[in-house]
Amino acid sequence: MRTSLNEIKLIDEHLFNNGSTENALLFDAMRIINPVLNEQIAWQKHTHKIVQQYGRKQLKAEIEAVHQQLFKEPEHKSFRQRILRFFGND
Amino acid sequence: MEQFNLFDNTPGQREQLFISLYKKAFPAVAKYVSSKGGSFDDAKDVFQDALVIYYEKAISATLELKTNEQAYLLGIAKHLWLAKYRENINLSPIDSAYDLSEENEPEPSESKLIHYLETAGQKCMEILRAFYYDKLSVDKIAGLFGYGTVRSATVQKYKCMEKVRETVKQKSLAYEDFIE
Repeated sequence: MRTSLNEIKLIDEHLFNNGSTENALLFDAMRIINPVLNEQIAWQKHTHKIVQQYGRKQLKAEIEAVHQQLFKEPEHKSFRQRILRFFGND
Repeated sequence: MEQFNLFDNTPGQREQLFISLYKKAFPAVAKYVSSKGGSFDDAKDVFQDALVIYYEKAISATLELKTNEQAYLLGIAKHLWLAKYRENINLSPIDSAYDLSEENEPEPSESKLIHYLETAGQKCMEILRAFYYDKLSVDKIAGLFGYGTVRSATVQKYKCMEKVRETVKQKSLAYEDFIE
């Protein structure tokens, strides 16, 4: 892998604390000689947060699609009626 | 829970899972919410959030089901309902683990960024989602996204991280409100 991709891998291992001790030591040394790396770590951490939010948003859209299916398609009519009865409209 | 571990986490399988959970657990949640004076939309909101929590716990293997899925989802939904309407201030600390808390909600600038990434970088976002959010194995990702080898899927993950990280940096600086 390219050096920059290896660096990304090392940052991931650092953020998730799942690399080898050897890599962690190498990474600590890299941070000392290359202070820009700390900035990259911060951006990668933020990117992970964005990916989580993106994932959750897509998952919610998948769940909403299932909801629409259950509350629109004729084959789920009895399920739908069972639910709507709780709210006084069947 | 064993059933979920065996479950092959593809979009089609997730759809089947959510249909089955809806059928098993939504009636009890709807009944509960209606008994508390809530509307159909209230029931839908708490149930959908409960499904997200269930999913996130199940994929990160932190979910130990002591009861069945229906009871578990009803428990989370009740908690969410109570938290939403502040009818009960004595929520136990363990319950707070079930919150889709406000701090996890995207900031306006983050929503803008996510919207941008959905249109401009969807393929990479889907790959990153599969790795980091859905926590799929690299084998499964290679298969789902059509990579010949595990190695090429792994390389693609890091390439996408590099690309998206750069976009996040540029856009966040442009939106001028990213403070680490």
